[in-house]
Amino acid sequence: MPITLIAACTLYLAGALSAAAAATAPTGLVSQPAPDFALPAAGGSNVRLSEYLGQPVLLSFWSSRCSLCAAQLAALDRFYATYRSSGLVVLGVSVEDDPQRALDYAHAHKTSFPLLLDRAKSVSRAFAIERLPTTVLIDRSGIVRYLHGDDRAGDPSYVAQIRALLDDRVGTP
Amino acid sequence: MNKMTHCLLRALWPLVLASLATTSLAADAAAVPAPDAPADEAAAAPAATVPAPDAGAGTRSLDEQIQGLKKDVIDLNKDLFMLEEELLFPANTQVAVFVSMDVGDFFALDSITLKIDNHDVGNYLYTPREVSALLKGGVQRLYVGNLKAGEHELVAFFNGKGPHERDYRRAANVRFEKGVGAKYLELKITDHERAQQPEFEIKDWE
Repeated sequence: MPITLIAACTLYLAGALSAAAAATAPTGLVSQPAPDFALPAAGGSNVRLSEYLGQPVLLSFWSSRCSLCAAQLAALDRFYATYRSSGLVVLGVSVEDDPQRALDYAHAHKTSFPLLLDRAKSVSRAFAIERLPTTVLIDRSGIVRYLHGDDRAGDPSYVAQIRALLDDRVGTP
Repeated sequence: MNKMTHCLLRALWPLVLASLATTSLAADAAAVPAPDAPADEAAAAPAATVPAPDAGAGTRSLDEQIQGLKKDVIDLNKDLFMLEEELLFPANTQVAVFVSMDVGDFFALDSITLKIDNHDVGNYLYTPREVSALLKGGVQRLYVGNLKAGEHELVAFFNGKGPHERDYRRAANVRFEKGVGAKYLELKITDHERAQQPEFEIKDWE
């Protein structure tokens, strides 16, 4: 009986800890300059983050193995359609072991924003990505403003943050 | 901007902001009447709310001060950058590799990988904007590093799309002698009209 009780408590604690970890977004890069990178896009050409200085950028890290990523990418595609004309840039960054799998996934889940292939995982390491999907919001001056380690791209708080970045003209060169 | 310069500028920004705040506070203090001013002066205060002829001049002066501060920050950044370059890459060991591109009808550049003495020293992915800048005559400093005097070998791998949109990968190499002064090498991508092929050349700037 006591063994069962201890095991149940241990399981409960483990569950509570993992839930707390999932709810806490990684905040290490917030208020820091976003690490620059250049990655090839699934569409063909290369994309460099620093070329978007002066525009707010939303980075979404995804993988074909992540069950929530497809819905997240679809939600971001809707954001992009709405705020593209206001200057919002959305980039999806694949965190994938198999580049061909990432390419197939990118072709299967067509988005109107570029899906980038981080084969060496150097970008996901630079942004200290711990879970997927993770969304990074970067302001016009290249500073990371928000980091979300969740799949709630449809949440109104996302819209509020994107609008705040679009309204912020301080970083405009 | 490099890391050291960025850190120094970040350290200097509070000083700049404090200076701006002081200037702004001084301007505000001059505009607000003193609390223990006599009643007749207070009565005359509404007249002061009418824009004075030199209010524009005050704003202009503040604007000039801000512009001056901005210029100082830019000059400081330039000096720090040059100082950093001199410290990190002294002329007697410095090796720099530049990239230039001409025409580009037969080759669409995607990336360049550099090896010096069989060690990877750089891999650069080019965006369409960067390629366009190179085609307009821009020269990019792809690599700067230090090498001891003596003979060395540089190998450059060019990746991209060749004629008929085919994947194209070519290598070019050069053996060079590093002397006492700085060494500058240029990777030149040109079109060979007769062969209908791109040409890759490494030029040693003596």
